[in-house]
Amino acid sequence: MAVINLKNRQIECKLVFYGPGRSGKTTNLEYIHKAFKKQVAGKMISIDTEGDRTLFFDFLPLGLGKIKGCDVRVQLYTVPGQVKYKATRQLVLKGVDGIVFVADSLAVRREKNMVSLKDLHENLLKMGLSIRKIPLVLQYNKRDLEKQGLPVMSLKKMDHELNRQLKVPSFTASALSGEGVGNTLNQALKLTLQSLQNEFKWAQ
Amino acid sequence: MDLGNKIKKYYKEAELYNSHGLLNEALEKYKSIDGLVKSTRNIRNREGILKQIALKIELTSKKLQKLDGVKATPEVAEDAQSLMKEMYTFDDPEAKGSSALGGAIALAKFGQYDKAIEELNRLLEYDKLRLEAAKNILWCWVQQNYTDYAVSLYQKWRKNKLFPPEEVDSIQAYFTELIDSAGGDHEIDELESQRTVEPDSEIDDDEILDISAVRFVLPRGPKEGEKIELEISFQSGKYIRMIIPRKEKDLIDSINPGDLLKEIVFYSPVAIFSGEGYVSSKNEIDAGPKKADYSLEIKIIKIVS
Repeated sequence: MAVINLKNRQIECKLVFYGPGRSGKTTNLEYIHKAFKKQVAGKMISIDTEGDRTLFFDFLPLGLGKIKGCDVRVQLYTVPGQVKYKATRQLVLKGVDGIVFVADSLAVRREKNMVSLKDLHENLLKMGLSIRKIPLVLQYNKRDLEKQGLPVMSLKKMDHELNRQLKVPSFTASALSGEGVGNTLNQALKLTLQSLQNEFKWAQ
Repeated sequence: MDLGNKIKKYYKEAELYNSHGLLNEALEKYKSIDGLVKSTRNIRNREGILKQIALKIELTSKKLQKLDGVKATPEVAEDAQSLMKEMYTFDDPEAKGSSALGGAIALAKFGQYDKAIEELNRLLEYDKLRLEAAKNILWCWVQQNYTDYAVSLYQKWRKNKLFPPEEVDSIQAYFTELIDSAGGDHEIDELESQRTVEPDSEIDDDEILDISAVRFVLPRGPKEGEKIELEISFQSGKYIRMIIPRKEKDLIDSINPGDLLKEIVFYSPVAIFSGEGYVSSKNEIDAGPKKADYSLEIKIIKIVS
């Protein structure tokens, strides 16, 4: 849940990068950390990984400066993607204001995307939140791997399978090179701040 | 696509999956190549390819096994634990407004049991926090499969009248439900006997070698966290006894009956092994040459390696 101090004109909100294991959530944060130096408000923390797999979460604080008269700070988190870390994902999701779902474009990861999206839906329900109402953006990551000869799903297919009912903004990305990462983040922040505005009327 | 090109394509895919950490997908591809090559006789360097693929399958399987064996909630460094506490001290109804309690609960939920228990133990001293702290301590032990120890701890609290009457029902109901959900046949119905039971030992007396010394970490008090070595003065099966000289006051205050020692190294003349033990008694010696020294007894409850 965002912390909004209207007296001091400060907002602090939480954006969570969700998705299946190895889909590129940590890579997204690493790119943001590298490319948005001005906005980075502290060091990126990755708590314990094993074989490049996130076991707990990654954390990156951003300061967006003044928006509509408010000092806006954002905490970016990733969840551990592997199925067995469901309890940790629930913990990281607590207090979430907006979500980026990082889907893997590789054809072999099709089912993992769907399982993870279902897991997100269930975890939000447990917190009394709806996947249809929370600010959500889809990112179809690893588009660059097609050039390396790996079978990648078409955007039409991914949109049909993941976004047919949600109808949320979606972006293609190659998080390793940073392509699409900024657009995804911008849209997610925009939706999150709009949602907070609807709820708390923070903007002047 | 001819067979040679198909094998090359599959191999390239498998290598790429491997490099991206998609080990299951890589393994599947290697197995597909293995199947293709085995079903065809007239391939150049057939044996060499099969050998190489077998090696890839073996290496990838080993990597997967290693990852599967990773403890889901390993203990992390102190600064990381601090971050967990700070970032996850939610406005949780369970926390009842206490950030210290909320932080300790956050640690417990992240599986940082030792640190969480350490902090929760401190909170037992505060009337308003005692009940929630105690419930969470029991939860931590049960999560780690130390249900016997949780039962003995609970009984010790009851015996020492840690909780006022109005809280007794609440913690008993919580603990009963917790134990039921953990399964097993642990009985806490006999609690009114006010008896502190020792956790069961997994080992028979005759399985234990003669032990000459032990090393363990002190669980509390002024020397908390320090490793100490003590010589064994007497052993009866899984019970070992040590003498602590009276001048080692800090050491005497750093270990008490009821403490669970999760990492004990046992030295015997023929082997060194590790395990877990429960401090079953600590008494001041009241006669003889060791008068005023302390006798410490540990029950060995598990041998790990």
